[in-house]
Amino acid sequence: MQEILTQLNRVRGVGGSLLVSGEGLAMASALRDGTDEAQLSATIGSLIEHSQRLGKHLELGATRHVHAAGDQGGVLLLAAGNGYLVVLIDPAANLALLQLETKPFLERIAQRLAL
Amino acid sequence: MRDERKPRVESELERLRKKVENFPSASAYNRLAELMRLGGDVAGAAQACRRCIKEFPRNGQAYVILAEIEMTGGKKEDAVKNLITAVERDPRSYTAHRMLAEYYAVSGKVSQALQHLRLILTFKANDPLVMQKIEQLTGKPGSAATAAPANTPASGSPTLTRASPTVISVTQPAKGSEPLPFNPPGKSGPGDSLQALCRETGVRGALIADEKGRVVASSGLAAGQEDLLAALAAEIGAASLMAIKAIGQEKLTTWTVAASQGQVLAFKRDQPFSVVVLAEPGVRPAMLEIRARQALIDLGAA
Repeated sequence: MQEILTQLNRVRGVGGSLLVSGEGLAMASALRDGTDEAQLSATIGSLIEHSQRLGKHLELGATRHVHAAGDQGGVLLLAAGNGYLVVLIDPAANLALLQLETKPFLERIAQRLAL
Repeated sequence: MRDERKPRVESELERLRKKVENFPSASAYNRLAELMRLGGDVAGAAQACRRCIKEFPRNGQAYVILAEIEMTGGKKEDAVKNLITAVERDPRSYTAHRMLAEYYAVSGKVSQALQHLRLILTFKANDPLVMQKIEQLTGKPGSAATAAPANTPASGSPTLTRASPTVISVTQPAKGSEPLPFNPPGKSGPGDSLQALCRETGVRGALIADEKGRVVASSGLAAGQEDLLAALAAEIGAASLMAIKAIGQEKLTTWTVAASQGQVLAFKRDQPFSVVVLAEPGVRPAMLEIRARQALIDLGAA
């Protein structure tokens, strides 16, 4: 799993990646130095919970992705099997392209998690 | 269940007591007062409200809690004075307007009661309890629909010293209908921008809400749905900001939750308001962002 994340980090616009469970517990991490894995995974857990609640109450169906963006990049959260892939996005990243390029990684992660 | 909760309430009370001593804030005082009142310590709750009023005189909520205590204790005149101050401080205080309306209705001052109920409708359109009360007081079904428009001074009010609420009205227009009534006269406002946003393909509805999940304006959403969306969006906004901060950033500009049968997008600016859009799954955010940012600019100008 670590290897998949390391490969993902080579995609243009990706500034780090993390795999978390539905409860926000870190399963694998390839973050840059200075990013607190525990803090990030905890906040992601909260984001997952609130997004699921939004989907449930507004009858939007299953959450596919969540994107939170600031002036200097952001966080993209993608459903990957039973877990969630968290991709840190650089400010200049092309979000649409990045989502396309992360697809094969998502499939590989989902396969691994299903084992 | 009650026994399990008691220690938690006690510890929360203790935490709030320490907080108001060391890092006082209006919200901490108000929460402390509410908890004390719930626990039966009415005198303590009133004292917490008075301290809050002394230290944070611009905060309206403490006046409301104090008024509730006074109303329950039979001090109706004191309660009314505090409620009037509360609506001066916070013209969107639902509880204060409701309590004043109730007091005036019981006192036979129907026009004053109606005035407060209609003021509620300027920021909480189609509230079923308020509409029901208006119909009850006027005896005319559907009369609640003729609520006073926002930014229109309430005429001849002996109770309100402020001419009108500063809040922005909420309506649910059909696509392509009249502009929302909170636009400044002769100018375009956030209502126009929200409507323009809702005319984009795939947009089901949109609203402007503050960080606490209170609806400022909405278009295309049902009354219950807008409150729910605003409340949930506030939670996600807070969680997204935490995530952004965890990667070393300070400002959240947008967030999106995309699901299989729809998506919610939110756009922020420097103001503590967000435009929240409920849309079909495939809608692209770029055009929506332009419209949403225009609505926020118009809101700032309004």
